[in-house]
Amino acid sequence: MAAVRIAVNAESLKGPLAWSLMAHAILIASLAVSTLLSHRGESWGGAGSGSVSVTLVGGLPGVPLPRPETVTTSRVVDESKGLYTSQPVPKPPPPPPDAREIPAFTKDRPQRIVSRPSKVLENDAVPPPNAVPYGRGGAPNVPYAEFSLGADGATTAGMGFGGPGGGGDFGNRFSWYVDAVRSRVSSNWLQSTVDPSVRFAPRAVVTFDILRNGSITNVQILRSSGNASVDNSAMRAILGSHPVQALPNEYSGNRVSVEFWFDFKR
Amino acid sequence: MDSAMKIQRPKRPTVHKGPSLGVVMALLLCVVSAIPAAAQDWFRTGTGLGVAKARVAVADFAPRTPASQTFAALFSDVVRNDLDFSGILELVSRSFYPLQVPTLPAELNGAVWTEPPASAQFLAFGNLTAEGNDLAIQAWFQDVRNPAAPPVVGRVYRGVVSEPEVRKFAHQFADEIVARLSGGISGIASTKIAFVSGRSGNKEVWVMDYDGANQRQLTSLRSIALTPRWSPDGSRIAFTCYPTSGAQLSAQICMHSILTERLVTWPRFRGTNSAPSWSPDGAKIMFMSSMYGNPELFTADADGSHVQRITHSVGASTSPSWNPKTGQQVAFVSDRGGLPQLYTMDAQGGDVLKLPLPDMGYVIDPAWSPNGQLLAFSWRRPSGNYDLYLMEMASHQLVELTRDAGRNERPSWAPDGRHIVFESTRTGTRQIWSMLADGSNARPLTTDGQNESPNWSSVAVQ
Repeated sequence: MAAVRIAVNAESLKGPLAWSLMAHAILIASLAVSTLLSHRGESWGGAGSGSVSVTLVGGLPGVPLPRPETVTTSRVVDESKGLYTSQPVPKPPPPPPDAREIPAFTKDRPQRIVSRPSKVLENDAVPPPNAVPYGRGGAPNVPYAEFSLGADGATTAGMGFGGPGGGGDFGNRFSWYVDAVRSRVSSNWLQSTVDPSVRFAPRAVVTFDILRNGSITNVQILRSSGNASVDNSAMRAILGSHPVQALPNEYSGNRVSVEFWFDFKR
Repeated sequence: MDSAMKIQRPKRPTVHKGPSLGVVMALLLCVVSAIPAAAQDWFRTGTGLGVAKARVAVADFAPRTPASQTFAALFSDVVRNDLDFSGILELVSRSFYPLQVPTLPAELNGAVWTEPPASAQFLAFGNLTAEGNDLAIQAWFQDVRNPAAPPVVGRVYRGVVSEPEVRKFAHQFADEIVARLSGGISGIASTKIAFVSGRSGNKEVWVMDYDGANQRQLTSLRSIALTPRWSPDGSRIAFTCYPTSGAQLSAQICMHSILTERLVTWPRFRGTNSAPSWSPDGAKIMFMSSMYGNPELFTADADGSHVQRITHSVGASTSPSWNPKTGQQVAFVSDRGGLPQLYTMDAQGGDVLKLPLPDMGYVIDPAWSPNGQLLAFSWRRPSGNYDLYLMEMASHQLVELTRDAGRNERPSWAPDGRHIVFESTRTGTRQIWSMLADGSNARPLTTDGQNESPNWSSVAVQ
């Protein structure tokens, strides 16, 4: 009798079970569909939802301000040296072992005298709270534009980089003029005019003449950097600087030739 | 008479056209004949990563008479301020100066200035004489590492004894130094800034020196004046005014002449007319007008004739700014896409482009840099405040200039492209500020009342 009743009960559960299975399937399906639909939009941080790529002011092309010598860029590894060496974090002492083996009996040996090298006294001074840790500050260790100074502190323009050369003493007498031309051209040299895939280019040398009134003529590439877009940007920097400051009144000549080099590095 | 002679005598060393020029010529001839290969002077220089700023010291100018004490101090201070704000050089702190300062080139001891702590490369020095009504300033700018070389700048200024005159000469001297050191881009110390101030009760157009000195009221229309714009030659200021026609106020374009110190007649049009902008040659003015209903951009000749419609769109278009380099491109603000955004077009109205900005928000007040490469504008991003941004037009790269310092709006470029003047509420009231174009060195120019809508003249204005 009892078995019959159980069988009847089992029969009656079939319908509701099927319904509940169907309902669950619909629920799961609708959940899946709704999650798919609700995240159709832009992902977080993507363009168009409140984020903007704004660069540092470091080297702002187009503004004729002198580009700072130390352009701060976020570098993953900064090999520059700071003022203080960073102290290694002391290791926690190893936990005492629970048990020790009984030391095996050995014969007494004459104790060996080990002479250790004398200890170097460490600087135990606590660095101040604003100390720059070792390797985390200071000027970035990147190659700057080389520009040597002569014996009298004047720029060695008009001379070779190694020592005295020909070319008159224009560079010595009017070193301020050389600096002015350099800063003018370099402020007009726009990195954005160089192919973005170029990271580095060998030195390009451009020659030109400055006339009495400051106009620039006879612009020629003396030595190509091997990259057309760098050469073009160098030419543009020169041509964009026309006219520069007129030649100094005290200078008697009519024109000055300039050899201008460009070291491109991103 | 006697004093005048006394003033003139020390001037002689600066003049290099007398016998010294002959000597130089003779020497050069000798050199030329001796080394024919060196006849053509040349120098070699170059650029890589950056350029070091020249270190400049400005010695106190020596007063020659007791009466000239204050003027000499003023002259030194103004030159120092101008050079400090030029952005292209580094000023040596005054506490590093040697005790003995030269007043004449013969007294200059270069080694004292090149050594630490001063470590200067250049020194400005000289003297000032104020006697009776005559002012004479001798000013030199010398490369102290190279004291034997002729001075970079050597000038004598003569005028009447007055503070504005001393300031004017100091600005001229500083401009000359900046021009020499930056390779031909003149300084901006002699330029002026027009702005709108309500300190007299009504919003009127005012004008001041670039450093905030000599503020004076230009117009007294007793209504509202807005958006002053200097003509490219600095002779006129176009602005938006509200003359009463009958009972109602309507915005019109007004024109103020600097030379005659009064308004020039300019035609009135139906509807609202505002936001004038000069073409770089000064021949045309572009402005917003609703003369046909919808606010659109129009151009007219500088005298108001030959009105021509430029934009045809659904939304409003306003705040035009011509590319000062080419004169062929105009940036403007339009809400045709919903919110006010930046657009560019050519000067005839074709080739309209929307400038891509990463998120929406209000973008207003475009101002094109003098070299045509950068566009400054104020932008209220959805998350914040009005702040100033720069966009490099070639690459559309953005640079943020201000942040967390009140509302910053209405940028205007200095003619050297190194400075920007703008209005800011960072002190609590709306004031005029100026800064270097990389966002550094901001300094207030006005403090009285509420001041807004600055515009930098593109040439030196008397």
